[in-house]
Amino acid sequence: MSHRGRCFCGGVTFTATADPLGARMCWCRDCQYIASGSPTVNVLFPGDAVTWSGPLTTIAKVAESGNTVERGFCPTCGSQMYSRTVHPAGTQPVWVRAGTLDNPSLCPPEAYIWVDSAPAWAVFDPTLPRFRKGPGSQRVE
Amino acid sequence: MTFTGQCSCGAVAVSIAGEPAAVRQCWCRQCQQLAGGGATNNAMFNTADVTITGELAQATWTAASGNTLTHSRCAACGNPVYAQSSARPQFMTMRLGILDPGHGLAPQAVIWTDDAPAWAVIDPALPTFPQQPPPPPSKG
Repeated sequence: MSHRGRCFCGGVTFTATADPLGARMCWCRDCQYIASGSPTVNVLFPGDAVTWSGPLTTIAKVAESGNTVERGFCPTCGSQMYSRTVHPAGTQPVWVRAGTLDNPSLCPPEAYIWVDSAPAWAVFDPTLPRFRKGPGSQRVE
Repeated sequence: MTFTGQCSCGAVAVSIAGEPAAVRQCWCRQCQQLAGGGATNNAMFNTADVTITGELAQATWTAASGNTLTHSRCAACGNPVYAQSSARPQFMTMRLGILDPGHGLAPQAVIWTDDAPAWAVIDPALPTFPQQPPPPPSKG
């Protein structure tokens, strides 16, 4: 099954040749910058399953997790396209921003991460787990 | 009150000498594409109150409302900084993510809920608008 997506202006497109592994919303401070104050909404695909077309600007930065995370965005319209861990290297999934999928409801979010960084006004789906930091960290009850 | 902020790479800094006329959360499809899949959160300040330093990159398009929108971001790291509508040059809508934490601002209304995905969680205490709401009054 393949899934497609694009940035706002259409300058960047992508195809994922596998189904999503899951989806999460991330409230880390870096994501709030990217997402205009919201959490990023990320659909995880196997790292080798997504092929990009068009120019991408990438920024690598040490995230709150301590990992070096590469983030890609369209240099024309600024749409945030993806992030992935580049250090430590391995078989990490690529986090495709849900807003860039042709079907943003392809894989509804299943958890919140880094909620310790969320603003006081943040609202949460009470049926979803909330992790204080990264996936698998202490949960908010 | 003065609000301050900077992008994550530090190249762009903002300072705002006044209170916002409105703070809104926007779920329009264009915002979802730009902002990682969620809504943008926007504080509408009087343009005259806003000072920005650093190099911006800009993209312009026709919004779902029919107005021309300009989206400005840090030219280096791409962090969204503000948007401005051709219909309301007296306002600059600063993205909440760019402001330093502790600003105390929060969305007061949720707009373009028609475009929100089924999984969106919208604060039930806030007024919602299926599409574009009326503009806030200009101050000063």
